[in-house]
Amino acid sequence: MTMAALPVDPEALREQVREKYRDVAVDPHRTFHFHTGRRLAARLGYDEAVVDALPERAVESFAGVGNPFALRALAPGERAVDVGSGGGFDSFIAASQVGGGGRVVGVDMTPEMLKKSRQTAEALELRQVEFREGLAEALPVEDGWADVVISNGVINLCADKRTVFQEIRRVLRPGGRLQFADIANGRPVPPDAMRDIDLWTG
Amino acid sequence: MLEDIGFTDVIIGEPADTFGGATGETNARAFDVYGYGFLAYRP
Repeated sequence: MTMAALPVDPEALREQVREKYRDVAVDPHRTFHFHTGRRLAARLGYDEAVVDALPERAVESFAGVGNPFALRALAPGERAVDVGSGGGFDSFIAASQVGGGGRVVGVDMTPEMLKKSRQTAEALELRQVEFREGLAEALPVEDGWADVVISNGVINLCADKRTVFQEIRRVLRPGGRLQFADIANGRPVPPDAMRDIDLWTG
Repeated sequence: MLEDIGFTDVIIGEPADTFGGATGETNARAFDVYGYGFLAYRP
């Protein structure tokens, strides 16, 4: 898809997303247009015992829209990529499922989220988790590396979804799987609203 | 789009009322927006 065919400018949208999620990283308890943290995790059906075992800093900036583990859990030893890993919540859940013999690579473009997730992984001594700076449209992961790709509430914030899905397919091994959560609308969004960049993040 | 790109066996989970009770609920209701889980495979 050419940029001209996209509803909004991808880089302008990325900058707006970075600004919004910078706030979620550094000031997670303020009011956003979406729920965050433990209340959200409970609402979306995450395993309460697993969430309770995580420290507050691992959960407080969670801002997903569904549960990417609801349809299938990860298996011990699997290699996972978390697209748009944010504060790391889903990466830490993935780490608990793949165990010490697996690997989890979280990818995010917001510096404050990367800093937070890296510090939390270090505090939790999760050697199987690594966070890399990058875009969903250009994942810093080699071809065919992943058994599974997860994502939560991120792809809807990307202007060029086709490129994102192609990139996910590239990093998956043959037979690998994508399990993600995202929003979908049951009523059509008017073209003018599709071009309103403020509505994408608010 | 997932199948166009080459994913197969696509499964869509039950809707979650992601924005219920949040300040974004009004916009979500206007367009019937819910959160869904998706599962798809690379052949």
